[in-house]
Amino acid sequence: MTLISLDFALLWLVTGILYYVFPLKKRWTVLLFSSLVFYFAGGLSTGYFMLFTIVCIWLVALWLDKYNNIQKKYLNSHPELTRDEKKQYRLSVQHKKRLVLALGLVVCFGFLVFLKYFNFLSDQTFSVLHLFGVKAAAPKINLALPLGISFYTLQATSYIIDVYRGKLAAEKNPAKIALFVSFFPQIIQGPIGRYGALAPQLFEGNRFDPVKFRHGLELALWGVIKKLTIAEYIGLIADNVFDNYTEYTGFVIFLGSVAYGFQVYADFSGGMDIISGIAETFGIEMAVNFERPYFARSIAEFWRRWHITLGAWMRDYVFYPLSLSKAFAKMGKKTKKVFGTYIGKMLPTFLASFISFMLVGIWHGSSWKYIAYGLWNSVIITGSILLDPVYKRVIEKLKINTEAFSWRLFQILRTFFLVSIGRIFSRADSLRISLSMLKRMFSEFNPWVFTDGTVLNLGASGKQLILIFVMLLVLLVVGVMQESGMKLRKKLDEQNLLFRWIFIIAAVCFVLIYGAYGGDFNASDFVYQQF
Amino acid sequence: MKIKETLLSILGDLHPEIDFENEDALVTDGVLDSFDIVSLVAEINSEFDITVGIDELEPENFDSVDAMEKLVESLLD
Repeated sequence: MTLISLDFALLWLVTGILYYVFPLKKRWTVLLFSSLVFYFAGGLSTGYFMLFTIVCIWLVALWLDKYNNIQKKYLNSHPELTRDEKKQYRLSVQHKKRLVLALGLVVCFGFLVFLKYFNFLSDQTFSVLHLFGVKAAAPKINLALPLGISFYTLQATSYIIDVYRGKLAAEKNPAKIALFVSFFPQIIQGPIGRYGALAPQLFEGNRFDPVKFRHGLELALWGVIKKLTIAEYIGLIADNVFDNYTEYTGFVIFLGSVAYGFQVYADFSGGMDIISGIAETFGIEMAVNFERPYFARSIAEFWRRWHITLGAWMRDYVFYPLSLSKAFAKMGKKTKKVFGTYIGKMLPTFLASFISFMLVGIWHGSSWKYIAYGLWNSVIITGSILLDPVYKRVIEKLKINTEAFSWRLFQILRTFFLVSIGRIFSRADSLRISLSMLKRMFSEFNPWVFTDGTVLNLGASGKQLILIFVMLLVLLVVGVMQESGMKLRKKLDEQNLLFRWIFIIAAVCFVLIYGAYGGDFNASDFVYQQF
Repeated sequence: MKIKETLLSILGDLHPEIDFENEDALVTDGVLDSFDIVSLVAEINSEFDITVGIDELEPENFDSVDAMEKLVESLLD
């Protein structure tokens, strides 16, 4: 069952009716039931992995919570302890908690690594062994990847880490943990929620709020528009260029990566809008996953606006713990002696950032191209920090006004260019092809493709190109309005009822007439669903 | 008062161009990014001989100098 399907619409309708008919305190059970229906409608076989993850984090969190409570009681009943004694006691408890947490993480990530990366790791290991004369074939597993495993694993592990850190008390009811992990609009492609923010909204039950309900439907409609009138059509160009890259060079390859960038943005953020909109009809506010990433002025800022919940997960559970760990601090001190204060201070941070971005890359899939994708982003961010003093000197020498619109536009376009280059790694079929595409892109300067009709024949028809152009313009205008702080749905609320209805009906008709569905299009497929 | 002055001095070294005394959404508004937070926490730990835990790296603890002062005070207790 996918987000844009009649089955899903029916599930939402039935869930909505039952949700608001059920007593307030029991409404979460309706969401749980629908989530399990949604998940197991895709097949029972791989669903067991999710159930096992749920049981695992439920038990691990209870175990960790027990230690948290023992520590709290002990420290409260021994006020005479000195600061050092308290510290020692906390460390001894932390040691035990760490083992329990490690167990939970090994189980949760074990499933993910085994199911998603086993074949890749096996291939790589055996290709090395073949060099040493081993002739055996690489062992393979033939299991379908459980729906949403990359998303729910991160969400589930964030819960046990937060309990370990003492930020949360463990939930005793396993059915509630099951709902937190499997909440049906979000399980296939996120956003990766945090227990502290999501759980109270799921469990406490929300009263029907007509404004939230309307806003939810409006957001979901905007998501469908993005998916069906931008992503699907511009994807024709991206698919054509990437599938036939040997026929193209220079700007055409670049246009292909730009097209893919807009495709994946409209597809993923459109999906998020549908998911958040559906959740909002139940009065639930999902974590924000996109904040107009193409307005970013640096790659670092891009990652604070693009797939925000993945970036935040990596920041809170990988980057901070690594860069502030004792091991990294020791490494910093050692390198300080050899390379000086600046490198000694920054190396642990750079290394932690590098590891985080490599994990972001690998999270997307088991292929060298995703490792290159992570590496590309990491190198750009590290490079920009290292070169920052140089930039500042150049800006000063050239007397550039960094507050001027022209400078901001330059930064946005520069970031857009760098992001588009990175897209080649993530979209091409392999690392070898992505490198070949980059070579072809930089091998010829062919600006005439914009005037000789080449760009009009890249996979989309004339009518589709006009629609793409108009919709990108709409996306830009909406983005500029949102960047200026305008709340568009509230703005619509302020209009007269008749205008509002005409606007909504026109939007629905627009997507019904111009949307890409049926025929060669498969609107139910979302790019991030495969991850 | 001494804590606040020390914090302002650390922050001033980190970003001399920012008026930290009048900012109250340093993390929320993206003035300080995660790289800044790591540098800042390392300096705070060494300056005050405390350990700012990972669980304390929340925006509300670093959005303003006053919030940071409160955090340091609580860890010194």
